[in-house]
Amino acid sequence: MIKIEKRDDAPMALYFFTPFIAIILTILGGGIIFYILGFNPIEALKFYFITPISNLYGLSELLLKATPLCLIAIGLSFCFKSNNWNIGAEGQLTFGAIVGGGVALLFYNQEGFYILPLVILAGAIGGMIFALIPAILKTYFNTNEILVSLMLVYVSKLLLDYLVVGPWSNPEGFNFPETRQFSDSSRMPLLFEGLRIHAGIFLALAAVMLSWFTLYKTYLGFQIKVSGLSLKTAKYAGFKGKTMILFVFMISGACAGLAGVGEITGPIGQLHRMISPDYGFTAIIVAFLGRLNPFGIIFASLVVALTYLGAETAQIFLQIPKYTGQVFQGMILFFLLASDYLLFFKVKILNLKKNELRH
Amino acid sequence: MATDLRISNISKIYPGCVANDNVSLQFKSGKIYALLGENGAGKSTLVKILSGVISPDNGEVFLNEKNLKLNSPLDAKKNKIGMVFQHFNLFETLSVFENLSIDATEDNKSLRLRINEILKKYNFSIDLDVPVLNLSAGQKQKVEIIRCLLRSPKVLIMDEPTSVLTEQETEELFISLKKFCDEGILIIYITHKLKEVLSLCDEVAVMRKGKVVSVSQTQNEKVETLANKMVGQKLAKIKKKINISKNKDEIFKVKHLNFYSDDPFETNLVNLNFSVKKGECLGIAGISGNGQNELFQILSGEIITPDTSIIFRNKEIAKLNPKQRREYLMAFSPEDRISQAAVPELKIYENVALNNFKSSNFFEKGLVNERKIKEHSKKILSDFSVNTDNVELKSQFLSGGNLQKLILGRELITAPELLICYNPTWGLDVGAINYIHETLIKINDQEKSTILISTDTEELLKLSDRIAVIYKGKLSKIMPSEEVTPEKLGVLMGGGSID
Repeated sequence: MIKIEKRDDAPMALYFFTPFIAIILTILGGGIIFYILGFNPIEALKFYFITPISNLYGLSELLLKATPLCLIAIGLSFCFKSNNWNIGAEGQLTFGAIVGGGVALLFYNQEGFYILPLVILAGAIGGMIFALIPAILKTYFNTNEILVSLMLVYVSKLLLDYLVVGPWSNPEGFNFPETRQFSDSSRMPLLFEGLRIHAGIFLALAAVMLSWFTLYKTYLGFQIKVSGLSLKTAKYAGFKGKTMILFVFMISGACAGLAGVGEITGPIGQLHRMISPDYGFTAIIVAFLGRLNPFGIIFASLVVALTYLGAETAQIFLQIPKYTGQVFQGMILFFLLASDYLLFFKVKILNLKKNELRH
Repeated sequence: MATDLRISNISKIYPGCVANDNVSLQFKSGKIYALLGENGAGKSTLVKILSGVISPDNGEVFLNEKNLKLNSPLDAKKNKIGMVFQHFNLFETLSVFENLSIDATEDNKSLRLRINEILKKYNFSIDLDVPVLNLSAGQKQKVEIIRCLLRSPKVLIMDEPTSVLTEQETEELFISLKKFCDEGILIIYITHKLKEVLSLCDEVAVMRKGKVVSVSQTQNEKVETLANKMVGQKLAKIKKKINISKNKDEIFKVKHLNFYSDDPFETNLVNLNFSVKKGECLGIAGISGNGQNELFQILSGEIITPDTSIIFRNKEIAKLNPKQRREYLMAFSPEDRISQAAVPELKIYENVALNNFKSSNFFEKGLVNERKIKEHSKKILSDFSVNTDNVELKSQFLSGGNLQKLILGRELITAPELLICYNPTWGLDVGAINYIHETLIKINDQEKSTILISTDTEELLKLSDRIAVIYKGKLSKIMPSEEVTPEKLGVLMGGGSID
């Protein structure tokens, strides 16, 4: 007989081990899907998870995609740890890209070392301002931040749409929905000739270090932790709840804004409609897969970035639509939540004979 | 046919707490039975056992001498035991009729017919096709009652049914209950409101600490006799020496404390005024649910009420949050020690850091000073004889008594001028209770003041210099504790008057 018991306290090791269980189950699940679709599962999985990173270019692409995911997820971890459910990072990314891109367009025919820092700063501030909207509405009008932050995603996307079609569209662009190319001074420096990986990765790494320090070594981090575990206690201790909500949203928005600006000044080089393949949403999965831990998030962003790459390779070699990437991302989250069951409950296999004797 | 319900030797033990200790009771149809007791006395556990929500560790339930196996709420329904819980189980967005048809076995037409019969018979006026969210609390309760009546129950259990009702609705409910009773339905009425017991019920069983302490005819009872049975009369004769505090300064003064809430589960507070002198313990007695929660939160600064004036050490602090009030040397020990005063998932030293006052240097320039916090925590653990010296232990592994010692230790480390505590010994064993009581007396001996909000009369009479009673959000006059007897307290706690 199998008995399921509630645990008092999950061992720390298990806490960090369950994401690996989720990844393994995702790969198995993916294999089954490929089999049903009529592919050789081993071969398909190889195309998905190994081929994309078997050369230098692939590794560079992996880091390129992991960079925005990691940045956004770091920001989100501040929100999620303190029980603030900001799911509008995609919107904050877009708005950051709009503000940063706007500054880059101002300088489209100029050169200067000061331009890129200005663009990056503008992007961070843009994301921050956009994240403040749900935060202010939550603190002062008691709205639900999940709905507001999500709906604002569409606002920012439509605004971007309008800008690239209308006022900001490239005058020499034959009415394509895109802006001018940014000048070289607005572009992230490339790390290696011929590869797309750019200096934005240092922003992500800096965010990791800073967030680790803030979350684990400061009073602010302590307040975030307590508020996340028990709002009642936070209130009793007299933490300034409103200030903290505003703060975590600002951090989160700034990180998403940085990610947006990193994309447009990095691989893209202009504004157009498709600046992000839903990095802002996928980063939610990254944050949880990384257990809201800064270093966990680095690892998780690499894993999830691989699902993007794998989907592209699979599209080319197996003619499967690249949206299978989202299937994999969904499975990761699904299996992660499922394996979290192990954290809260332990499964005991009882000796049947003993049990029978008792009855 | 008469119904006879017998509970025999029911026991239910939760980790660290005996919820039901060998409970045996007998009920017969034609009477309304009250099950009276304070929060945590074991009423709800017993009711949950009768309705199949939980199963007892020991003991049996007999209905008309048939041994019932109540393994799920479905079993209770099958055996014609109906139950109306304090919190309604209705789908707010569905209509009344949809709610009632969810678990019905007949077709909609005949169901509607039967519901209309019930409405007519008991004079209920409810529109079946409006969404439940448009109904008042009383009407929602009627929907729950109709749901039970549709199954022609033999037993109807009402769990604290009047807590969300207006006076008018309460009266209507009592009329209906009497009607059901006349029709042969056995009614068990769970409450901690003494007046309701006296005006509605025929027989009353009082529970305390998991045991049935008395079963009697209500006609032989009065508010005060029931109150004493409910809170326990075995009063310890040890009293602390009363502080001769007549001429001492008032250190804390509350004026015009009013609180209004939209939440029917909260109690409104009406114009409370009181003051505390230096070195004095002011006790606030009352049966739980009469506004103590709200009062504590307003005194601690978790709730800020407009127009209230709170003067502490000659400063107006009514607008300050708990952290700021701590800086003025107030300290707070809330009732919910497990999930409010401490966070179970946090380590002991992290829980200590929750009381971060300026001079503690727990956080210097915004950075965690772990060494300092741990040093401090070690001192608390040894000064307050908590049975561990491991500051890295998660506080969920501390027993109730040790956790309370830790919390008191944390709050007292600032040497506060005023400690406000709410049920500080709730659920603790005798040893821990004595320790906490000694600590509280020591505080007064050192010329520091305390406000003790407690539902435990024994504790109040032992520790307080002056006592007031809170009833339905109103405070009685404040009496010197040497003039107070348990009987007097009982009357006031039940809403009576002693003049």
